Amino acid sequence: MAYSQEVLARFRNFFIEIGELSFFAHRYFKEVFSPPFEFKELLRQCYQIGNKSLLLVGVTGFILGLVFTLQSRPTLMQFGAESWMPSMVSISIVREIGPVITALICAGRIGSGIGAELGSMRVTEQIDAMEVSGTNPFKYLVITRITAATLMLPILVIFGDAIALIGSAIVENLKGAVSYQLYFGKVFNALHFNDLIPATIKTFFFGFAIGLVGCYKGYFCKKGTVGVGEASNAAVVYSSMLLFIIDFIAVFVTDIFFEI
Amino acid sequence: MSGIKNSSSQNFRLGVFVVLGTLILISALYFIGKRQNLFSNTITLYAEFKNLNGLQLGNNVRHAGINVGVVNKILMINDSRIVVGMSIQEDLSQHIKQNAIATIGSDGLVGNMLINIIPQSGDGTIVKSGDTIRTYSRIGADDMLTTLNVTNENAALLTADLLKLTTKILNGKGTLGMLINDSLVAKDLKKTMNNLKLASAQASQVLRETNAAFKTIQSNNSVINTIAFDTVSGTQIKNLLANLDESSMKIKQMSTDLTNYFEQLKDADGVLNYLTNDASVVRSIDSTLFYIKEGTYKFNQSMEALQHNFLLRGYFKKQERLKEKKE
Repeated sequence: MAYSQEVLARFRNFFIEIGELSFFAHRYFKEVFSPPFEFKELLRQCYQIGNKSLLLVGVTGFILGLVFTLQSRPTLMQFGAESWMPSMVSISIVREIGPVITALICAGRIGSGIGAELGSMRVTEQIDAMEVSGTNPFKYLVITRITAATLMLPILVIFGDAIALIGSAIVENLKGAVSYQLYFGKVFNALHFNDLIPATIKTFFFGFAIGLVGCYKGYFCKKGTVGVGEASNAAVVYSSMLLFIIDFIAVFVTDIFFEI
Repeated sequence: MSGIKNSSSQNFRLGVFVVLGTLILISALYFIGKRQNLFSNTITLYAEFKNLNGLQLGNNVRHAGINVGVVNKILMINDSRIVVGMSIQEDLSQHIKQNAIATIGSDGLVGNMLINIIPQSGDGTIVKSGDTIRTYSRIGADDMLTTLNVTNENAALLTADLLKLTTKILNGKGTLGMLINDSLVAKDLKKTMNNLKLASAQASQVLRETNAAFKTIQSNNSVINTIAFDTVSGTQIKNLLANLDESSMKIKQMSTDLTNYFEQLKDADGVLNYLTNDASVVRSIDSTLFYIKEGTYKFNQSMEALQHNFLLRGYFKKQERLKEKKE
């Protein structure tokens, strides 16, 4: 009896959380277009989210391209289809692996960062103090971060894709004696607008989801230092899950509107 | 102060970051678009196929092995007519003639489908936008597999039959089996071969002799040589035969005429008919001749008497004298 009540309570809490997140998102859309606009803070957040994540995304992307090519080579060689490596790698990275891996890295770095930062601000009552002083903490803290994450993630994904393809090209050049010109010629022969545009559009949603979940978890953080840790952890977990759900929906919608 | 410096430095870095990211995206879009001929002048060519074999929008179009454009339109007219529109780069289209043939192929064994425009020999006018070029439907992979399936079935039947044959041969059944398994037959065959060898040697000898005989005929001035090899004599013989033929024709005609004549003679009431056919007339003639003979004898006696008559003696003497004078 107690177990079933607990399960029911968890379900209830889950839906409550979904509802609160929806209200949070609604509030974001309501306030994002209304002044005052916090441009300086937005730029600062863009720098923090974009520039500061570039190294991590770049290194990850480079290793991803390198390893992906190295691992795929033997299988393709068995079929005598190693000349298809650039096509396979480019389509895989641009369509799916690049956006998803970059978004997951950002969920780990940005989501947890936002969750911890806002959570500690909540715990130390800085947000309350802002409200008392007449500053809108939602505009200053939440809207800037969500907008920055939404705008920066596509750029990070583009960098990630490009660096991953460079890593793949280096492996092909060293292992298969394929020139860089031929490699990138084949990459652009294989790619279509149908690959690049939907993949780029969905990264805006990825960024929005990471910022939204991070801000939500931090903004409504429970009291105490444990609450900050929980907020940070939950921000990463929930945003990662949300990323896969958004990715599934994006692929589904792309399949309907674009001929994959 | 340091906060402002920090802020401007961050903004600069952010600007570089955003601009670079955007440039990479724009470059990627440009190269993809360039591949699809979005930024160059193009013309559209059409080709009509029965089966596209999986050809899709965006597949390459190749002319003499060079990518000259992409498939930009696929229009199904009915169940056996599919019109494919091809966007061809204008500068490269100058080398495509109207007599070129379009076929659907694939880029390697497992590659994407593409359209190959195959140039044809001869002078042709250069294509212009909106032209439809001829097509040639190559056999598809499905057709090949169907044919292969039939071939496999046939091969299975053949091997089954072959197995039966080899089993029979091994068991010594049939001519081949006997040949392989029976030693007596092999000996007989050997003898036969020897006989054949002898026969062929003799035949060769006969042929040599015949050849020598022919050579002799050719070298001698014999009738056969003349007939066989002299063209002048041959012409003369030909003429002779022609004359003989003509003469035989005439003889035949003459004999026919004679037959007709005798037929007419037999049927008519002429003297000759009576002479030949009536025996009484012959008898009458016989008796008449007898009487004539007798009459002539008596007439000679009378004339003898007249010569000795004094009235006519002078005339006869006169005749004798004239005769003597002439001599």
